[in-house]
Amino acid sequence: MTEATFTTGKGAQAPDPAAAPRDIRVWDPLVRLIHWSVAAGVFVNAAVTDPEKQPHELVGYAILALVLLRLVWGLMGPRPARFTSFPPNPLAALRHLWGLFHGARGVHLSHNPAGALMVYNLWATLIGMGATGIMMTTPRYFGIEWVEEAHEALFAWLMLSVALHIAGVLLDTALTRVNLVRAMLDGRKRLPPQGPAG
Amino acid sequence: MTQTPFRQTADGRRAIVLAAVIVLQAVTAVFFVGDVVSDFLHDGRLEDLHMWIEMLAALALAGGVAFLMLELRRVLTRLAALDRSMRAARGEMAEVIDGFFTEWNLTPSERDVALLVLKGIDNEAIAQMRGTAPGTVRAQCTSIYAKAGVDGRAQLFSVFMEELLAGES
Repeated sequence: MTEATFTTGKGAQAPDPAAAPRDIRVWDPLVRLIHWSVAAGVFVNAAVTDPEKQPHELVGYAILALVLLRLVWGLMGPRPARFTSFPPNPLAALRHLWGLFHGARGVHLSHNPAGALMVYNLWATLIGMGATGIMMTTPRYFGIEWVEEAHEALFAWLMLSVALHIAGVLLDTALTRVNLVRAMLDGRKRLPPQGPAG
Repeated sequence: MTQTPFRQTADGRRAIVLAAVIVLQAVTAVFFVGDVVSDFLHDGRLEDLHMWIEMLAALALAGGVAFLMLELRRVLTRLAALDRSMRAARGEMAEVIDGFFTEWNLTPSERDVALLVLKGIDNEAIAQMRGTAPGTVRAQCTSIYAKAGVDGRAQLFSVFMEELLAGES
């Protein structure tokens, strides 16, 4: 313990803590990397690759691997990434949406209850697409109609879900003034000064 | 104070690199396992040495991914702890204390003594640390209490406690 350790006065240029917005670390690098990789993969397979060709299959495998990785991370990752931080609860999701339109401005440090349902929906849809996609490559299910139809129906559902997901993010950002896109890019939620947390 | 951000970004970079390696390895692991499974389904001969080596490689890859994920969690836990202590120590407490000391017009040496008092160090030890006589520290403390409008150590603490509690609600 030297005397210098205790001197104050210097380094007092820090911003006033009461007026400064609070930055809270929510999304770890693995969550962010998986999120944007899956988004890129879905875009590539939806708009670029030929469904009949091998690149489509390879990208599909990669998306499936990313989703499986995320599921493992949901069991062992840091708190905001864990399933226990955003249990699937349709009632809570409805309450959240109801509150959102009636002035509640709660900020969530993981997914909000409605966002959580969307996340589980997206994972299930992606796994379903991966499963039906793999089935189509096996001799046993190749050319069987219902598999192909399921893959296409899931794709339509995925596109609808993605549209809802983006709309939800924009709506939540507009209402709570916490930039969710930024949070998924640099991992931090910037809460307004003295904003509620929970 | 100057060391913390550096370590933070070093750990932050480590976390990003770990995440990237985990993603790459997980994707290749799934391809590898998928290849083993499809090979097995096609000609399913377990006595084939090549098959066993492939399976071993796939398992090793999956184990490596699991290990890296544990490592990433460790790094993230360390980052979070650092973040918390930095916020409490620098962002809030130091600013609060500094604000009061300025408001009370404490001299630089009174500031140092007052901070040591708040750290729970007694007058004799403070005198020893600062290389002054115990009487000097006692006089400085009296001056600090007078400027702060409190009648002793306990009340000085209560000023900051009240501020912390008030800041919570």
